[in-house]
Amino acid sequence: MDMLRITDLHKRFGDKEVLHGLNLTVPEHSIYGFIGKNGAGKTTAMKTVLGLLKADSGEIFVGGEKVVYGQTSANQYIGYLPDVPEFYPFMTAPEYLRFCGEITGMKKAERDARLKELLELVGLGDEKHRIKGFSRGMKQRLGIAQALLNSPKLLICDEPTSALDPVGRKEILDILLTVRQQTTVLFSTHILSDVERICTDVAFLNNGVVETQGKLSDIKTKYRSEEYLLETGNDADIRKLIQAFPEMKQIGANQLIFCESVRSAFDLLRFVSEQHIVLLKFERMEPTLESLFMEVTQK
Amino acid sequence: MRSLFAFIKKEFTEQFRSGRLIILGLLFVLFGIMNPAIAKLTPWLLETMADSLAESGMIITDVKVSALDSWVQFFKNMPMGLIAFVLLESSIFTKEYTSGTLVLSLTKGLERYKVVVSKALVLTVLWSLGYWLCFGITYGYTAYFWDNSIAQNLVLSVVCWWLFGMMVVALMVLFSTVAKSNTGVLLGTSGVVLASYLVGLLPKCSKYLPTFLTDGNSLIYGLVETKTYMPSLVIAVATGVICFAISIPIFNKKQL
Ligand SMILES: Nc1ncnc2c1ncn2[C@@H]1O[C@H](COP(=O)(O)OP(=O)(O)OP(=O)(O)O)[C@@H](O)[C@H]1O
Ligand SMILES: [Mg+2]
Repeated sequence: MDMLRITDLHKRFGDKEVLHGLNLTVPEHSIYGFIGKNGAGKTTAMKTVLGLLKADSGEIFVGGEKVVYGQTSANQYIGYLPDVPEFYPFMTAPEYLRFCGEITGMKKAERDARLKELLELVGLGDEKHRIKGFSRGMKQRLGIAQALLNSPKLLICDEPTSALDPVGRKEILDILLTVRQQTTVLFSTHILSDVERICTDVAFLNNGVVETQGKLSDIKTKYRSEEYLLETGNDADIRKLIQAFPEMKQIGANQLIFCESVRSAFDLLRFVSEQHIVLLKFERMEPTLESLFMEVTQK
Repeated sequence: MRSLFAFIKKEFTEQFRSGRLIILGLLFVLFGIMNPAIAKLTPWLLETMADSLAESGMIITDVKVSALDSWVQFFKNMPMGLIAFVLLESSIFTKEYTSGTLVLSLTKGLERYKVVVSKALVLTVLWSLGYWLCFGITYGYTAYFWDNSIAQNLVLSVVCWWLFGMMVVALMVLFSTVAKSNTGVLLGTSGVVLASYLVGLLPKCSKYLPTFLTDGNSLIYGLVETKTYMPSLVIAVATGVICFAISIPIFNKKQL
């Protein structure tokens, strides 16, 4: 089943059309990376899903329930972590989580147990001070805790790792990985290594539409380049190869890139075996997310 | 229901921890003591100034003060109490808009009307507590120094003033759901009250306007019949109820 389905979403601010026909499908139990550059409209799309912004047209379903602007009951399935989470500064972290539990109608015993467990999970177990004095990273952690409090079916995180140090970032990513069994995670980011580390699915947002979406592995296969990396032991071989295949690019002292556009890789391999060239390495290049991102956003 | 109580509890905790509860309490207590005190001190003040006043041609004869003077002070000082209350509490909604704290509660499925109800309730409780505290103190001292029974229609006059305050609270709620910042709330609320006051200067309209309720002096001196207050009373209550009722659908569609 699809946890979230967005069809043909349009949104404009004044004369600036931020989203024009966004389609997005998030399958259950996936960790969905929502990638796009600054100002692409990630936050806008997420806020529309939460009923915080009014869509100009298009439909959104969360767990089968239609989202309407304003008071929307679809919110009860969602845990949300905004890009800059803000809490009541006069409360302490446990007080705030207790308040959240109360407004969602959790039972007291269940709430207190969950509260403790979550504070431990995000590393705020011993924090006794009021939120007023929290750092951005601490707020981000508390934000994760409050988003997970009522075991949401869909967890929406807006750039959850951008305020964190490398250790904190890894911890948050680990948390997202561990909650995957119980929930579906949609998170926006422009840190591609985070995506590579935990995502099962990705969508690239560019010019107000989703350019590419699907399983990370499928996308990588689809965008698999026709390029091969070739490495040999000595310079003489390199010269020989370049003479025979002028379309090859030299990228290192002993490394060449071969592109299968003019001649096939078999021609190259035949030449290698005829000339008794010793290969140290011959591999098909895996597309990196970075190259994918560049390719998608520069179209 | 539980979520409503939780939000109300949060509101009171905030009022308390931010110190606003204490400031309001002190303010209304101070006003409560000031009203009879000023009345009590008037003869003495005039006596000390008698010489300088005599030079400028004013002759002070023996001044008698009574409970009425204390209540005149009450109605004279209460606008300041109300203004202080509005200034202190004008950001009760808008602070949450600018900081973005409401977003998290609402995206957890808290119904929006509960936010409006909680905050309106807190404002009502604070205004009523402050007002009646001030009244109680003034009443006590006045009874001690003089005799409250010479003030006619005392109950009606103070209830009218309290209801006027309640209407202002409802206006605050309405403008809080419309405006984005507390400047908007202050402008809207004071604008309506000012308009009511200005239109009330026309003799024909005056008794239909909510600001008419603030004229407690005419009541305690028995200068007007009590039924003259009926139209403005009904209009103020209706305005309050309507403001509150439409603030809920407006808030339901508000962009946060
Ligand atoms: N309330 C608003 N009024 C006017 N324009 C807005 C508003 N909110 C967003 N925008 C515009 O919409 C565009 C998309 O903004 P959005 O915040 O969705 O981007 P984003 O993908 O989240 O970027 P980032 O990676 O920086 O968080 C931006 O160009 C911004 O100027
Ligand atoms: Mg953003």
